[in-house]
Amino acid sequence: MKILLVEDDKDLQATLRNFLQQEKYVVECASDYNEALDKIGAYDYDCVLLDIMLPGGSGLDVLAELKKMHKKESVLVISAKDSIDDKVAGLDLGADDYLAKPFHLAELNARIRSVVRRKQAGGDTSIVVENLRLDPDKRVAYVDGKELVLNRKEFDLLYYFVVNPERLIYKTALAESVWGDNIDQADSLDFIYSQVKNLRKKLKQAGAVPQVKAVYGFGYKLVVQGE
Amino acid sequence: MKLLHYTNMKLSALLFFLIGVWGVSFFLAIHYEITDETDDMLRNYRDVFVKKALQQPELLNVPYETTFDRYTIRPLTDEEAEEYESSWENTLLYFPEGDEHIPVRVYKSLFRASDDRFYELEISMSTLERDDMIETLCVYLFVLYVSLLLCSIIGNGWILKQSFRPLQKLLVWLDSIVPGKPIPEQHIKTQIVEFRQLNEATLSMSRRNLQAYEQQKQFIENASHELQTPLAVAQNKLELMAQQPGMTEKLLSDVAEIYTTLNRAVKLNKSLLLLSRIDNCQFQDVERVNISGLVVDLSDDFMEIYTDKHIVFSFEEKSVLWASMNENLSQVLVSNLLKNAFVHTPAHGTITVMTTSDTLSVMNTGEEPLDGERIFDRFYHSGKHAGAASSGLGLAIVKSICALYHIDVHYRFTTQHEFELKFAK
Repeated sequence: MKILLVEDDKDLQATLRNFLQQEKYVVECASDYNEALDKIGAYDYDCVLLDIMLPGGSGLDVLAELKKMHKKESVLVISAKDSIDDKVAGLDLGADDYLAKPFHLAELNARIRSVVRRKQAGGDTSIVVENLRLDPDKRVAYVDGKELVLNRKEFDLLYYFVVNPERLIYKTALAESVWGDNIDQADSLDFIYSQVKNLRKKLKQAGAVPQVKAVYGFGYKLVVQGE
Repeated sequence: MKLLHYTNMKLSALLFFLIGVWGVSFFLAIHYEITDETDDMLRNYRDVFVKKALQQPELLNVPYETTFDRYTIRPLTDEEAEEYESSWENTLLYFPEGDEHIPVRVYKSLFRASDDRFYELEISMSTLERDDMIETLCVYLFVLYVSLLLCSIIGNGWILKQSFRPLQKLLVWLDSIVPGKPIPEQHIKTQIVEFRQLNEATLSMSRRNLQAYEQQKQFIENASHELQTPLAVAQNKLELMAQQPGMTEKLLSDVAEIYTTLNRAVKLNKSLLLLSRIDNCQFQDVERVNISGLVVDLSDDFMEIYTDKHIVFSFEEKSVLWASMNENLSQVLVSNLLKNAFVHTPAHGTITVMTTSDTLSVMNTGEEPLDGERIFDRFYHSGKHAGAASSGLGLAIVKSICALYHIDVHYRFTTQHEFELKFAK
């Protein structure tokens, strides 16, 4: 999958590129408005990660150009502004999602997977990891073809794990992804522990190969291969 | 006390005293003059009598008496005469005609008659008229005194009121200034230089204040924006680092600690940014929001998050509360209030939320009252929860949102903490 990363901060660009490459994406970068326009004009991408404040112009203008060219790229706006106006303007212009800086990389990955999936018209959009299959549209999970009964939060957790397989997920990132901004940093995150415990139990009972593993002090990891 | 009344009172007190002193002095002077006049008359009387007596010695044996004036003559021995001193005296004399005592001035003096003997001449003169006059003078003085005082109080009051009018207008104008809002026009015309200077000074000061206020707001917003990217870089690098092969459990837990600290900075920064955006009125869209519904949705999440505290949560929906406000802000408002309650309620405590058609109350268990004055200040932490449990911005955000939508927010402590929000109709 090919991604265009439009971000002017060199450090952040390098970090994101590094991460995306680890995730097996093909990444191209643009550091300013003109470079972004050039690349969009010349190539096709599956997804564009677009910063709004760029040297030489606004990311929103890049988005407008993109739509003018009737290109099919999924667009994920990443902005430091975190302002509702930008979010609304971005989504109005046809962006698929909006992510405010700073964000967790696992969250970014989940969002990319999600916007790209939504663009795949028709075809099967379910995510398969070994004998575990998730249908994000219907919000149903299957193990060996049999439905796994999960509550809303458990499904959200599982989805987050499945789109970030074999990746250490920091517990706060997980909590924020599922419970939103209501999580306060200083809160005890023990509630995640019990939620994940339930999920693990259900996966195990259903005989799923991928298992959620706790990493002491840090968070969790979806281990795909059975040991 | 109003400046007007204060000044008027002081001026009146001064006048009361000064006119009083003046009145008494005037009275004493007149009194002295009249007595002096009587004495002169008595002296003349004596001179005339002595002259007559020298020519007509038989007068010495005839006591003279008219209705009000009389004289008596008494022979003196030489010894008496040697030590005699003339004297003045006020006394009462009985007049059988009117069967009454009449005030008289008595002048006793010595003279040597033609027979070479010494006599004492005692002349009495009625001072009834003089006393009448002094009485009348007193009445006039008193009436004048009171009316002068009254006139000056009323007159002063009126003049002071006129003079202070520009000051009054200035105060009204100052009252109408709201921090962060454009400064209202100042229409105060005055001839008084000091008031003109005061007007100009307050106007320029308010402009400077507004400017500083705007700059401050802008600065906070810009600073928070600028911080986002470096924070993102640091956070993401840590995430990548955690994925490195060969990370030991010890290293991972160190990374997690740094991550936690960093995340706190991220949260704080986001809260600051939110706060300055609310204060900068960047949330324009207003819609009808079901606050009661929000309470239900959000409390579910909080119950999950704080499940370990075994808090008893109850929601009394006396009526559905609808509010006209920005949807995002309504979420922030309710969630911050609930979060505050959940964070600060001790384990096994209770939280009760109540909505009526125009109020939202959040009550939770607590032991002692918080400082109601400062609880909504930025970075205010009550001693117990210093630092760790909250960013110190949650209630400040609540207050800013309330200020934006003219919602009255009150904190009180009866047997538990209670926050009450009264929504404008």
